[in-house]
Amino acid sequence: MCGIVGYIGDKQAQPVLLDCLSLLEYRGYDSCGIAVSSRSIEVYKDAIRVAALKKAAPKLSGKIGIGHTRWATHGAPSQLNAHPHLDCTGRIAVVHNGIINNYQQLREQLIGEGHSFTSETDTEVIPHLIEKHYQGDIIKAVEAALAEIDGSYAIIVMVAGEPRLVAARKDSPMVIGIGDREKFIASDVPAILNFTNRVIYLEDGDIGVITADSVKVKQHQAEVTRTENKISWTIEDAQKSGYEHFMLKEIHEQPRVIRDTLAGWMSAPEPILDLEAVRDNGAEAMLMLACGTSYHAALVGKYIVQELLKIPVRAELASEFNYYGQALAGTMAIVLTQSGETADTLRAMKRLKEAGCRVVAITNVVGSTASRIADQTIYTRAGPEISVAATKSFIAQLMALYWIMLSYAKIDASRLSSLTAELRQLPSKVQEVLDNQDRIAECAKYLAGFKDVFFMGRGINYPVALEGALKLKEISYLHAEGYAAGELKHGPFALLGSKTPVVAIVAQDNTHEPIVTSIKEIKARHSPVLAVVPEGDDSVEELADSVIVVPQVEPLFSPVVNTVALQLLAYYTALQRGCPIDFPRNLAKSVTVE
Amino acid sequence: MKQAVILAAGEGQRLRPFTATKPKVMLTIADKPILGYVIESLAKNGIRKIVLVVGYRKEQVFDYFGSGEQLGVEITYITQERQLGTAHALAQAKSAVEAEFLALPGDNLIEAATIARFANLKPNAVLVKRVDNPIRYGVVNIEKGTVKGIVEKPRETSNNVINTGIYALTREIFDFIEPELDIPDVLNKMLAQGRIIRASETDGTWLDIVYPWDILNLNDRVLRQITASLGGTIEAGVAVKGTVVVGKDTVIRSNSYIAGPVVIGSGCDIGPNVCIQSATSIGDNVVIAPFTQIKNSVIGDDVNLGPGCVIQDSVIDKGVVIQGNFTAFSSQTEVKVDDEYHQVTVGAMLGEGCRLSHGVVAHPGAIIGNYCQIQAMKQISGRLPDRSLVI
Repeated sequence: MCGIVGYIGDKQAQPVLLDCLSLLEYRGYDSCGIAVSSRSIEVYKDAIRVAALKKAAPKLSGKIGIGHTRWATHGAPSQLNAHPHLDCTGRIAVVHNGIINNYQQLREQLIGEGHSFTSETDTEVIPHLIEKHYQGDIIKAVEAALAEIDGSYAIIVMVAGEPRLVAARKDSPMVIGIGDREKFIASDVPAILNFTNRVIYLEDGDIGVITADSVKVKQHQAEVTRTENKISWTIEDAQKSGYEHFMLKEIHEQPRVIRDTLAGWMSAPEPILDLEAVRDNGAEAMLMLACGTSYHAALVGKYIVQELLKIPVRAELASEFNYYGQALAGTMAIVLTQSGETADTLRAMKRLKEAGCRVVAITNVVGSTASRIADQTIYTRAGPEISVAATKSFIAQLMALYWIMLSYAKIDASRLSSLTAELRQLPSKVQEVLDNQDRIAECAKYLAGFKDVFFMGRGINYPVALEGALKLKEISYLHAEGYAAGELKHGPFALLGSKTPVVAIVAQDNTHEPIVTSIKEIKARHSPVLAVVPEGDDSVEELADSVIVVPQVEPLFSPVVNTVALQLLAYYTALQRGCPIDFPRNLAKSVTVE
Repeated sequence: MKQAVILAAGEGQRLRPFTATKPKVMLTIADKPILGYVIESLAKNGIRKIVLVVGYRKEQVFDYFGSGEQLGVEITYITQERQLGTAHALAQAKSAVEAEFLALPGDNLIEAATIARFANLKPNAVLVKRVDNPIRYGVVNIEKGTVKGIVEKPRETSNNVINTGIYALTREIFDFIEPELDIPDVLNKMLAQGRIIRASETDGTWLDIVYPWDILNLNDRVLRQITASLGGTIEAGVAVKGTVVVGKDTVIRSNSYIAGPVVIGSGCDIGPNVCIQSATSIGDNVVIAPFTQIKNSVIGDDVNLGPGCVIQDSVIDKGVVIQGNFTAFSSQTEVKVDDEYHQVTVGAMLGEGCRLSHGVVAHPGAIIGNYCQIQAMKQISGRLPDRSLVI
């Protein structure tokens, strides 16, 4: 998915385009660019986000322009692959959202005819095709070019010196915004809603010719009327497609994220990662580095590797490792970063490379800096994550770790096949947790009445306790601490009492008994206990003040269902407390400073 | 007409167990929810502004349809907090609708042709259809093309023209809704006050879904319309006959035999030596082990079928795990729903997340609730409530 915009009117185009583009970033943000036309066309684009482009771009003068924000499909994110794309003469500029199926063939054909290409994108064939057919009438040229294309598209075409834009769509969305003496074009309505609430929807096969004062639409060369609509809703409503917050939307996307992620990997004939290749000298140790929520995924990863590969693992905070950590040459290193741009993690990667380590990156953003530094990269298919509090990207990271380690597991065949079958069940299990959200919301209402909350877990669910506490503090502003259950008695007990509830994660593995014992100890200090318990386990029913039941899964996979339950718990607590859930104070989505 | 209000808030009590965790409009046929077919039919008629009135388990609707972009439509969501009736649902959408609009249910299967003519009619109008069993529906009395009255579920009637629940309306209807809760009552009130409502008859597809086995009828109807497309990996020695759809990242292993119409979703692992016969729909991420035979059935997402199963005329909801040698054979039988007996030819209906050990046999017409666990070598019949344990 990508986002496109166009402007023609009596204002300077550049600031309008950048404003609109920043609202389209939910559609992709690995690179972006704008082109502004006066007598000639000036382009500024790069593999950066819109906010960075706003700062970096020189002032381009002109009242007609187009812009694009990209989520890479063909060709990695880079300055050259960013849109807009130009023809050979630099007089025709195009932005495109969609996929051109026959671009390879068109590209070869055009190169044969003497056109020269600068990018690896499918889009670049469009300006060259238009150039090929251009004989003074841009509309005819666009029609002829589109006739040769097989695929989906929403495109905006701009020609140097011409006071109009040409827009066309097929199977990709596009709207035209109507202002007085100005017109806007965009992938969706929210992008232009700051400027106008009068829009025309283009239909599949439409070609629109847009000037500052008029919009003419043709379908199969005949002029058609497309009625103007008044929009009554707000920008945010639309992007959240019904949900109250992006965070809730992203939490609910998780069954699909798991299903899509696993489908791609499980059907691949080769393992997704050549672990042997990063095991120089038969190194029998592994290092995992990350920050924030990704660090919690790394901590879960440590247990996964130890159980399945039976080798020692260190999981460290990248920000700490950078100041004292030692890496032995030949150590396998896996780094996790949702954005691929976390400054601390990037610095740690560079240090590892210098020390002679092979580095694997697990990231959600194709072509991000992390993927360029790493020896091998695994992409999680979580899609763009807007909410500052990470949810689906964390679950996708866990899926990557499970699948990599299962591919190399040193366990007996029957356990391996039952684990693989169980892994496939996770989408339904997570859906079951989501279906239980009313119950979780009730527990959250209760939790919202306190100031301090402890989370405790043991073994593979200790990192889940840390993650549950992190989610709660970052969005609900409650003081929360995650603890390994066995450590509570070494200090925190002094804080326990009727005003400090404890969220206890009960797992059905060898930690079950000690957790139940811990709950008893906590109850003796009069702390309210909220237990997260697998279905069918009634051992704490009498002890806990309230219980959230999660579906029963193989203990190795229990962090998945438990984390989703705690995500919802944090969400509803924050909702109850009236916090700005998607954009908590003082926090940014990706931390690009050390 | 450019805008449609789709009523998608209902739960569908009589369809349990399949609607215990999802709204009725999200029941999946041929790897797509019913509501998806409704929206596609509207889009094909140029109706791209969609107002969805959601309620029960609305997040699943949000998650599947999003902003509508995938289907080329623009969706506005309206929440009906309590599902009190169709007119009440429509009233919630008052702020979002234009001067003229279509209103229709999201849980009846319609094809684009069914509403092609109707979508261009001037309001007010009702789309009607002749059916064999009118007493289940609202019967519409018509004189010279205009409606004289709608009688809900009459005890007996000689009139077989029924209300499809598809209406062409203007904003005027909002003045008549209070205190009524259902649209037919509102229309009767409008008629009483001299408004004219036209009736337009269709002979196009319009299928209602009331009982669990109706899913199989709808599945059969939808599968007749599919276009073949083979994604994923199909190993050597697989026979594919008739119209078959296979999604991406699916692997079908050697010596499997697939006789369409069959739809198989994405990310599945099927075979070797599996036989899938018409008319069968299989969801995403489904695993089917060797020597299993499936015929005229609907299998949900994430289902895992072990070796040697025989599954006929059955519905298996998402996340069910069957270890092997499960038999769900079909025969004519009597099934009780809400104290009514129905003569039907069906296999078994399994709710989501059930876990069946080896060698379970389901009698025809067995309806197994969600998350039941059944131990090896058991025979199951009749109706099992959710989360039953058979040991």
